[in-house]
Amino acid sequence: MRKFLSSKLLLVALVVASLCTAAPAQKLNGSTPKNDSATSPVKLALPLKDGSLRFAVIGDTGSGSSKQSDVGNMMVQYRAAFPFEFVLMMGDNLYGGETPQDFEKKFAEPYRKLLSDKVKFYATLGNHDQPLQVNYENFNMNGKEYYRFKKGNVAFYSLNSNYMDKKQVAWLESELAKDTSEWKVCFFHHPPYSSAKKHGSDGQLREVVEPIFVKYGVDVVLTGHDHVYERIKPQKGIYYFVSGAGGQLRTGDVKESSPLIEKSYDQDMHFMLFEVAGDQMYFQAISRTGETIDSGVITRRKK
Amino acid sequence: MKHITEDLLRAVGVSLIVLSFTVAGAVAQKSDHPALAPPVTSPAEKAAIQAFENQVKDYVKLHNQVREQAPKLSKDATPEQIQTYRTTLEGSLRNARKGAKRGDLFTPDIASFIRRTLKNEFQGKDRKDLRDIAFETELQGVVLRVNYPYAASAELSEMPATLLAKLPQLPKEVRYRFVGRNLLLVDRESNVILDFMPDALP
Repeated sequence: MRKFLSSKLLLVALVVASLCTAAPAQKLNGSTPKNDSATSPVKLALPLKDGSLRFAVIGDTGSGSSKQSDVGNMMVQYRAAFPFEFVLMMGDNLYGGETPQDFEKKFAEPYRKLLSDKVKFYATLGNHDQPLQVNYENFNMNGKEYYRFKKGNVAFYSLNSNYMDKKQVAWLESELAKDTSEWKVCFFHHPPYSSAKKHGSDGQLREVVEPIFVKYGVDVVLTGHDHVYERIKPQKGIYYFVSGAGGQLRTGDVKESSPLIEKSYDQDMHFMLFEVAGDQMYFQAISRTGETIDSGVITRRKK
Repeated sequence: MKHITEDLLRAVGVSLIVLSFTVAGAVAQKSDHPALAPPVTSPAEKAAIQAFENQVKDYVKLHNQVREQAPKLSKDATPEQIQTYRTTLEGSLRNARKGAKRGDLFTPDIASFIRRTLKNEFQGKDRKDLRDIAFETELQGVVLRVNYPYAASAELSEMPATLLAKLPQLPKEVRYRFVGRNLLLVDRESNVILDFMPDALP
């Protein structure tokens, strides 16, 4: 009887374990340098599948520091191997002033090569961004504080987490309710989940947006605000990333004991690359110096 | 007869489809989010909210008149065009509101309702997140003066969504903003402070 119970318990444990590990992002095996130069820092961990959608992510960039430019230059190097089409910006696009000189120093200059190569940037507003940024030609916000656009089989929603009023919530629900895209990605500044000491999880924002994300099958949520990198353990089936160190860094800010962490990094600035191919979304987080700090693949849930 | 029946069935089918889309649209527009439920208000508070919203509407009319005279701002503007627009709008609004003073919009009646709402929302252990967010933005270079701009270099506080749902609703041209313990009412585009309530937060 005891033996029977033990084997039954073992079976239950195995089933539970397999359920827990089936959905999460899996590590990609090995990285494949796609650059010919032996000295190139580029170590691509993405599959580069035919016809895939490719984009980059940066957050909390607008410091105008030399290290922000380092990140911009590293993006250019990676783009030679991984030709991404556009960049999502997680907010705090311009710190400490918004004169034409600020736009130049804190945005146009660090990403000049990408801009000249016609890479489009899609911005969201952070707590250091004035609302009129929505009219800036290179942020592609079309005069709106929250907006949706679609690329391939992916719908992107840029939200204004500074001011999530009833109108915005109603808009989000209404758009998601009729959205038949295979993938739904939301991006905004304040992270509903974060293990950083400075800000951490924005619980009140989560209280409002998470039920909507769950109800309408949002797959991935990208945020910034905390100046670190973090991939959160999937929450209610949704993958959350914090990518808030594209131009600012808070070294040692991640609370290592946090149960939310799947992977984190707070030792240097970074950017991210994404590749969507059918039901797979591959990602790679890359440090300012070109090191891979995280990579993996997310498989789309059946809805 | 057969034709008539087919036509009738087709008409009923189309009507049902149209009706289903209409109902779906209506459902999608309506948010029944529990965290966004409006506050319970007394008749006196309802009247105060209505009066406040009317005053804000009057301000928006003024804003729109002034805006008409400012250079047009396109959706793909240069930084120079944005700066020109903002400074022109700011100057014109300040000029049009000469003599504006604290308490013009946040009258004692609405201020009392807002203070009560903030007190209710901010109490309790489960409201720690709310307090953390609201208290996060310090005064950092912000001069609290009616009809003067909120410094463009200063950080903007996140306005908690659950709290926004409880405060009187504002049109898109006007925003609430916390700075320290103060609640501000600002013009969204020009950053001009329209009014403020000192020590609004409990």
